[in-house]
Amino acid sequence: MKGVVYMKACIYLFALFAGVSLSIEGAIYGELGETVGKLESSFYNFFVGSIILGIVLLFLGHGSLSHTFKAPKWQLSGGFLGVIYLTILIFAIPIVGVGAAMISVIVGQLAMSMVIEHKGWLGSKANKVKKEKVMAVLLMTISLFLIFS
Amino acid sequence: MAILLLLAAVLGGTMLSAQSSINGSLSTKAGTYETTFLTFITGALILFLLVLFFGDGEIGLILEAPKWQLSAVWFGVGYLFLTVLAVPQIGVIATNISTIIGQLGAGIMIDHYGWFGGNQILFDWKRGLSFLLMLIALRFIYIADKKQVKGG
Repeated sequence: MKGVVYMKACIYLFALFAGVSLSIEGAIYGELGETVGKLESSFYNFFVGSIILGIVLLFLGHGSLSHTFKAPKWQLSGGFLGVIYLTILIFAIPIVGVGAAMISVIVGQLAMSMVIEHKGWLGSKANKVKKEKVMAVLLMTISLFLIFS
Repeated sequence: MAILLLLAAVLGGTMLSAQSSINGSLSTKAGTYETTFLTFITGALILFLLVLFFGDGEIGLILEAPKWQLSAVWFGVGYLFLTVLAVPQIGVIATNISTIIGQLGAGIMIDHYGWFGGNQILFDWKRGLSFLLMLIALRFIYIADKKQVKGG
């Protein structure tokens, strides 16, 4: 019984560290962008990431890469969106700092996920927006203004 | 300038959210690792062209950059693996909320101590209050998502 609780706590810590990793990633790429160039840093990330994931895929992949050619084209846009996200961060972080940049990103994520859910876009089920979520966006926006003022 | 960059970062967040929905639907048929690989490779191809035509940096300097700066890629990949690991165990909602807390906490610490060579931005009452508001907002999201799971 105790083992299960420790195990759960461990998983929460992993998830927490996933978030920490995002901030560290942004902070370091902000720095790297100052020396090698911003687009160049972003390219480095996607290039080396492809190599790492290529190796992972070889050994652990059990899906079907060839499905890519049958999938609807909009499902292939993840790479475009990722490029825009990381490149914006590389520009922003050296000027506004990691904390403010991350709050902005989170506000954008939450707002977009509400729109996606509400409209039932991108293969999600349409669901009415809950009032708690509207409150959350409001609080986060205030928080962004506070950190920025 | 700074306000424009923050607005741009909000836009970046919307991209990230759309990406996770899109990748989620692709991965049901193509597989998780396959989808992630595809995201990285298309990103690399696009940026290769952008760097060729618009790059004003010095890409060769990557080979001279300190290794700890190059290790940023492991944090990006680590994020993906940790979430893939956590979601089936504790669910999407708990994973997202824990991730956001980690992101914010680390962001504020990195700013405060000026870690990784960035500008130092000290923790003050405004930052404390804004962190607190974010936690309350996360609590609201948690409540809303739990309702959704129960009631639909």
